[in-house]
Amino acid sequence: MRTLRSTISTLKKFMWLPVVLAFTGCSTTLKQSALDPKGPVSQMQYDVMMLTLYVVTGLFIVVGGAMAYTVWRYRLKKGEDPKAIPDQSHGNPLIEVGLIVLSASMLVIIGIPTLKGIAYMKNDPVEEYEGEAIEIIVTGYQWWWNFEYPELGIKTSNEFSIPTGRPVKLVLKAADVIHSFWVPKLAGKTDLIPGQINRMWIEADEPGMYWGQCAEFCGDSHAYMLFRTIALEPAKFDEWVEHQKSAPVEPESTLAHTGKALFTEKGCIGCHMVGKVGGLAGPDLTHFGSRATLAAGWKANTLENLKEWIQYPEKVKPGNLMYLGVGTMAGIKQIREEKGLSDQEVAALADYLHTLK
Amino acid sequence: MSHTDTHAHKKASFWRPQDGCHPWVDFMTSVDHKKIGIGYAVGALFFLLLGGAEALIIRLQLMSPENTFIAARTYNQMFTMHGTTMVFLAIMPLSAAFFNYLLPLQIGARDVAFPRMNALSLWTFFFGGILLNMTWFFSDGAPAIGWFAYAPLSGPKYSPGMGANFWILALQVLGIASMVGSFNFITTIINMRAPGMKLMRMPIFTWMTFVTAFLIILSFPAITVALFQLMFDRQFGTHFFNAEMGGKPILWQHLFWVFGHPEVYILILPAMGIVSEILPTFSRRPLFGYPMMVFSGAVIGFLGFTVWSHHMFTTGMGIVATSAFSIMTMLISIPTGVKIFNWIGTMWKGKLSFPLPMLFALGFLWLFMMGGFTGVMHSSVPGDAQQQDSYFVIAHFHYVLIGGALFSLLGGIAFWFPKVTGRMLNERYGKLLFWIMFTGFNLFAFPLHFLGLSGMPRRTHTYKSEMGWDLWNYWSTIGALILGVSILLFVIHVIRSAKRGAPAGSDPWDARTLEWSLPSPTPVYNFAKTPIVHARDQFWANKYGSDAEKAGVANEGPGGIHMPDRSWMPFFTAFGIFVLAAGMVFLNTEMSLFGWVFEHHFQIPIVGALITFAAILGWALEGPGGYHLHPEESQPENES
Repeated sequence: MRTLRSTISTLKKFMWLPVVLAFTGCSTTLKQSALDPKGPVSQMQYDVMMLTLYVVTGLFIVVGGAMAYTVWRYRLKKGEDPKAIPDQSHGNPLIEVGLIVLSASMLVIIGIPTLKGIAYMKNDPVEEYEGEAIEIIVTGYQWWWNFEYPELGIKTSNEFSIPTGRPVKLVLKAADVIHSFWVPKLAGKTDLIPGQINRMWIEADEPGMYWGQCAEFCGDSHAYMLFRTIALEPAKFDEWVEHQKSAPVEPESTLAHTGKALFTEKGCIGCHMVGKVGGLAGPDLTHFGSRATLAAGWKANTLENLKEWIQYPEKVKPGNLMYLGVGTMAGIKQIREEKGLSDQEVAALADYLHTLK
Repeated sequence: MSHTDTHAHKKASFWRPQDGCHPWVDFMTSVDHKKIGIGYAVGALFFLLLGGAEALIIRLQLMSPENTFIAARTYNQMFTMHGTTMVFLAIMPLSAAFFNYLLPLQIGARDVAFPRMNALSLWTFFFGGILLNMTWFFSDGAPAIGWFAYAPLSGPKYSPGMGANFWILALQVLGIASMVGSFNFITTIINMRAPGMKLMRMPIFTWMTFVTAFLIILSFPAITVALFQLMFDRQFGTHFFNAEMGGKPILWQHLFWVFGHPEVYILILPAMGIVSEILPTFSRRPLFGYPMMVFSGAVIGFLGFTVWSHHMFTTGMGIVATSAFSIMTMLISIPTGVKIFNWIGTMWKGKLSFPLPMLFALGFLWLFMMGGFTGVMHSSVPGDAQQQDSYFVIAHFHYVLIGGALFSLLGGIAFWFPKVTGRMLNERYGKLLFWIMFTGFNLFAFPLHFLGLSGMPRRTHTYKSEMGWDLWNYWSTIGALILGVSILLFVIHVIRSAKRGAPAGSDPWDARTLEWSLPSPTPVYNFAKTPIVHARDQFWANKYGSDAEKAGVANEGPGGIHMPDRSWMPFFTAFGIFVLAAGMVFLNTEMSLFGWVFEHHFQIPIVGALITFAAILGWALEGPGGYHLHPEESQPENES
């Protein structure tokens, strides 16, 4: 069934390639392209969207063509009397009703797959997968993401892994304002709304790093609220889970040791958890060193970027709480003023965090 | 046309300025629907340019990846103010300008039902616009909440500055302007049509005004309630939208879009009405399927109240609700399609000429159709899950709001300009600007489709180069600059032509409806003799119809035409409302007025309420006043 469906959709893709390319400006391979579906949900959404696109493009050609033809044919031609009075008939019920029936039938063509699609994406993953589905609780914060796997007992931030070929049920929550979860290559968006639990499901057909981004305006740094979905072969996924469960790496170098001490001394630990110790207001950093990005997917996780992020978070991401502080927890702003934050200290902290593979 | 005037020039007082008063006094106290219409147009065009400048700042920031032209907060303020300005201060009032100026002329009336209320509507719009833009000059500057101000981001915790207060109160004031105007138009249309002008003989623009006015009075209460709740959350510690205390953020979205979706049709129906006047004129044919056009306009208005949740397809609604709103949304495309078919039918077998208004009308048709078709794509939820809140949506609604509403309104300006000013817009220059505008707009808006489908979310102040969005953002910005400059030049062109244009006769287009039977510019009393209507396109019938179709003249007795006096009360009432609203913005702050520092609670709102009350009292006591005019017996000549 699935192979048949994907064969048909592949065929359709090739048939309509010229139209698709014209419409998309050859943008199918971009990181967040909705035209490059890599899972059953996004594939279904893509198929329905393309169907609507073909229908409206067809209508546009017909209606637009009729309009252009009318304008051309009945233009006032040279030598014609501009004051001449053309036919003053004002309507033809048969034509008018006929066109209404025709447009209604066009709507049926897109209406039926639409309704099927709504049921497909909104229902839990179809029965055949049910047993294998895993659940992830996604929580949106200004401006980062928390991912919790209740069945597996692990937690991570901003980059999360899923196994290929298995449906993943997402439970969506928001900690402050409304956010929206969007990984175009895996599925369209669903909002994360405070005081309400939303659900959606995704599945990746092939391994890869899928880019996602908050799609609901959520304040100053909305543009910096990215995340990555990393789809892994099932065996690799199990390895990843084991790794996430492991205790944080103990630092070896003196610099990293200093960094670990500073992490507590400066108060970082008040918001960030490492292992089983720390606060919950900020992202869990137990395995921070193994992530590809920092600051919610905005920057590559290099030593230089990390130092900048620790020392001047307000420059990287205006309005963020790591700078401003949360409740009684001091932010970098206050720490800089009261305790100071020297380049050496920042270097030590960064070194320590990078050992947390 | 001159007129003899027996009772005019009665003694002028400060309270009742008479003819010959200072132009500013005349402007502020006029109750003439034509002057009020021009006032609306001037204000709307000013705010159009202001909102356009904000748009260009947005586009310049997005021109290249990781641009640092403006800060994140500034960018967020820009799109908030751009959206709010364009919807409430540019397109709506520009439509209102046409309602005010044309509605009485098209139905053969001498003014609207309540001339002073009409002035109140203008001045509350004016003060609402000022109140909204005052926000730039106070602490934390403009709101950064988006034009739909989703709670809880717009609430006290996440938008602590005063910007959101300005936004809330300004929208309340603008709501009053819209409501007052709409009741006035509805009353006018129901009661003041010339004898013989049955509803189904009304010009189509008047019909669309009628439908739009009903949309306004039925939809604005929803946002009024929502704004009050948000104001109470922000200023009086309630928790309507605060999830931490059991409030419901989603409630804001429902209330907002119950207003917000009809609002979309409030913006587009007048534009459709204008196009439905321009196309028949330059095709020299009656509107094809007039009853169907009227009915489809009403159906669009009605269905507009049943589809609000299609703005909320991603909020986790259930399967049944999502499906229902999806199907209802698809259904709206049927009456909209009817309109497009009938516009083509109007041109079919016509004698088409292409002066500037016709170019705008055809541009409207083409661009609105494109925006309409992406609208059909949005109605299909699976695709919309990808399109929502992406640049694809931005493309869609700029096609319907610029390509649709604005092009039609500019076409309307070009069309009725001779009637209003007695002069012609320069055609060659106007056409040049039209084509630049058309090109610039498409260059700006079409690439946004690509950006949306390749994953660019709206309302992001920057993006990474590796996303691959550079190229189209660059060209979109170039297009926006071209569009912006051409609109600016068009506005300048309009202003210049008002003084320098070639004189226009009363009927330069050989048009069809009653306003063209009047001299240009229209005399203060509109119709010297009230016409008796016998046909749908009455003025066309006067020129080319059978004798039975030609208009008659009502016998009005020897009393002359009653003209109401000018009045300050609408202006003062609006000013009082402004003070009241501005005072609410500054609730519980420390204020300093002329060096006097005080703890401000309700002092200013109370002063505002007192001014409003006193002005309304004065309004009631002064009465309409007025004098009588006796225009010469001769009717304005018909150029047939």
